[in-house]
Amino acid sequence: MGNKQTIFTPEQLDAYQDCTFFTRKEILRLFYRYRDLAPQLVPLDYTDKPDVTLPYELIGSMPELKDNPFRQRIAEVFSEDGGGNMTLDDFLDMFSVLSEMAPRDLKAYYAFKIYDFNNDDYICKSDLEKTVNKLTRNELTPEEVSLVCEKVIYEADADNDGKLSLEDFQRMIIRAPDFLSTFHIRI
Amino acid sequence: MTSMRHGSEYSRDLPRVNVLSRSQYENSTDNFSFEPEPELAYSLPSTFHLLDRPYSHGFSNVSEGFIQRHNRRPSDEISVTSSSPFEMDPVCREEKDLVGNLASMSTSERIKAIQKMPETMKKKREIRNKVLKEITKKTRHHSTRLSRCTQCLQGTAVLFRRFGNSLSEYSHLLQLWHKTLKIIGAKFGTSVLSYFIFLKWLLTFNMFSFLINFSFIIIPQFFAAEPNNLSFTGLELFTGAGYFQQTVLYYGFYTNATISKIENGPPYNMQLAYIFTVGIYFVICFLILLFSMAKSFCRNFINPQTYSGNASKLLCTWDFNITNEKAVKLKQKNLGTQIKEGLTEVNQEVLYFSVTERVERIVIHLVSWVASLGTAVAACAGVYFLSINNLKLFVKGHKNDLEGQAAMLVLPVVVSLLNAFIPFFYSWLGHLERFQTPGYQIYIAITRNIILKISIVGILCYYWLNIVATSESQCWETLVGQDIYRLVLVDFAFCLLGSFFGEFLRRIIGTTVCVSLGLPEFDIGRNVLDLIYAQTLTWIGILFSPLLPGIQMISFSIVFYVKKVSLMMNCQPPRKVWRTAQMTTSFMFLLFFPSFLGVLSVIGVTVWRLKPSEGCGPFRGLSSMYAAVSEWIKILENYTASKWVVWIYHNLITSELFFFILSVIILIITYLYWQIIEGRKTMTKLLRKQIINVSLTFSFILFF
Repeated sequence: MGNKQTIFTPEQLDAYQDCTFFTRKEILRLFYRYRDLAPQLVPLDYTDKPDVTLPYELIGSMPELKDNPFRQRIAEVFSEDGGGNMTLDDFLDMFSVLSEMAPRDLKAYYAFKIYDFNNDDYICKSDLEKTVNKLTRNELTPEEVSLVCEKVIYEADADNDGKLSLEDFQRMIIRAPDFLSTFHIRI
Repeated sequence: MTSMRHGSEYSRDLPRVNVLSRSQYENSTDNFSFEPEPELAYSLPSTFHLLDRPYSHGFSNVSEGFIQRHNRRPSDEISVTSSSPFEMDPVCREEKDLVGNLASMSTSERIKAIQKMPETMKKKREIRNKVLKEITKKTRHHSTRLSRCTQCLQGTAVLFRRFGNSLSEYSHLLQLWHKTLKIIGAKFGTSVLSYFIFLKWLLTFNMFSFLINFSFIIIPQFFAAEPNNLSFTGLELFTGAGYFQQTVLYYGFYTNATISKIENGPPYNMQLAYIFTVGIYFVICFLILLFSMAKSFCRNFINPQTYSGNASKLLCTWDFNITNEKAVKLKQKNLGTQIKEGLTEVNQEVLYFSVTERVERIVIHLVSWVASLGTAVAACAGVYFLSINNLKLFVKGHKNDLEGQAAMLVLPVVVSLLNAFIPFFYSWLGHLERFQTPGYQIYIAITRNIILKISIVGILCYYWLNIVATSESQCWETLVGQDIYRLVLVDFAFCLLGSFFGEFLRRIIGTTVCVSLGLPEFDIGRNVLDLIYAQTLTWIGILFSPLLPGIQMISFSIVFYVKKVSLMMNCQPPRKVWRTAQMTTSFMFLLFFPSFLGVLSVIGVTVWRLKPSEGCGPFRGLSSMYAAVSEWIKILENYTASKWVVWIYHNLITSELFFFILSVIILIITYLYWQIIEGRKTMTKLLRKQIINVSLTFSFILFF
């Protein structure tokens, strides 16, 4: 509507607006943030849909992510190749899910994937152990970690298969009303 | 049985078969075979789907099922898809269903549904393009049948959506302090951030009030202003008396005339403008508060029993907002300590007390409650007698010397001192009581503070409405306005002082003199209660001093910056768990229930029962402020064009029967909703049991 930007075609911007929770201005602002990570790699003209992927090291060095213990998992979950190297689409998707407009189900789905380190659609004990170690910076002894993970599985596992499925996780989310505000990165 | 897969596969498949049958989109779940169909592994309908969005229940099942099959890693998908030569690829079939469903929704619903899909952007774009193609196909097919009217409507709908989009972009400009909030959240986390967000929210109320007061009351008054003969000394800024009495700051200055400055222009009835502006502002505030509170309750369903779970503490509470390295390390350390404590104190909940210990605890609790309520009552009595003395000072004569002015400030200073120091006494009592959980202690302390503040505001309102209004002063509304102005100003000063002493000096003490204390933490509860108190005073004061929201706006902005600077310089991130969502909902509820509704009752009594002063203000000479409206209705009765207004007034607004029927209907609807919720709770319990039973049955069968 009168914007003289030449980065995206109006159809592309409309598609982004429909697929994420951002407005046009926010999408453009995020594009500039993406570009600032590697100005020589990212072109200023996306109308011909260039295939540009930024390596994980650049994504993980963003101020919003660089101190987050889960930054690698976040990048892996949202990247197309699963290795943390993100295109602009992945980048927008990531911050859209982590924005405050995203509904709880969507956030729960992605939080589950982030904590599922081995990508088997279940949070098993080894996933939980890795999570606990990341959350406490390896301060606990392996026995304590194991004990905590057993307690968590005992508490949350409803179908008794020894691991947490998405439904168990969603049920846990209901009991944690803070989840919506904590699973949120402001950009 | 050769196609039997690992047990876990079935624990997901079979319950789905039993449970999801009511969804109309589950056409592919009818097979009861043991054929491996991992691509159709749906997730169960989540319980909160049942509660919040019944209309999208079916859809979200389809999308989630669709999604789990299509991993973000396409390499996995290829190995997993099973092909059946005798039917259409289930992937395509589901996608077709999905596109069909999306195409049949309205535009906003469709956009929301696409946004909510847990898919890659590429996939979402593809689906969106397919849906748009489908829609254009449909409209082309139906275009001959569409009448001009429908096309017109569709065109206007598109225009509205574009307008809404551009509005939302400009509302982005109004997002005050986005960067500041980000910095605060990054270092201190969501809990401290919630205070600043609350402050920003209250600021918007005051901004809105100031805007409408300014446009509808103050600007017209400038046209009909009488000259101000009083002199201005700087002291009036603090006392609000003297020069300010004859300005737009107070009720008394406003004219009761009908202003008509423009030749042949419509006259502007000041009485009606005053009462309607204030009335409509309060109605809008009521609606905003009600909807925010309802939305907050919906999102943060408070269920205290199930809150303290280890699992949710571990997996759902890591604060992604914190991006400061030191803060992250601190939080990790705290979490580690909490987990260690949780492991060692295994049976902390099961504490058996002997009979004497229990009696002792009950006696201590009773004594501390009596002490806190007694202090509150004593504070109220003190405030009451002080205010009666204050009134005697006023009625005696206008002393414009320094002593007289200073005497006017005694009441607000005493009130603020009481509000500042009695909470320390309460927290000391809380330490004595040794509660079982620290969360309980916080709740009790906040409750006692609320009782204190409510009683002080209550006694002041009683004093204003019963004593000042019936006194022999010339313009009692202006007196009340001046009192509130002074209270607001002194409260603001004490807020800044509290920040200085509570945080700055405490940091100096904690780092130099008494190092064991350490850096102070930001006391969220007390600060939010102070905000609610200040906002209550402002709301009471709107009727008597229309410029007060503007003053409060400026004071809130200054408080924001001062608190932010003090926080950054002096405080450390919170160590204990602060249940942000629960507390924010409680604070919103507190803002609505004792605060706003109390203000409404005070305003109601003022407008309907009290006699306005004879010599000043827009309602001089009337029997009550409301009489302006009833007289206007009487005038309207003479015009046939406005008979409908008169009808609405007589049959809807002043008729008790209408409100009685309305209350009965609302009660019935509330009861029905309550029963629906109870029914759904029972249903989820049953479903959960079914899941466990079926999975147990299956693992049992597998082993034999």
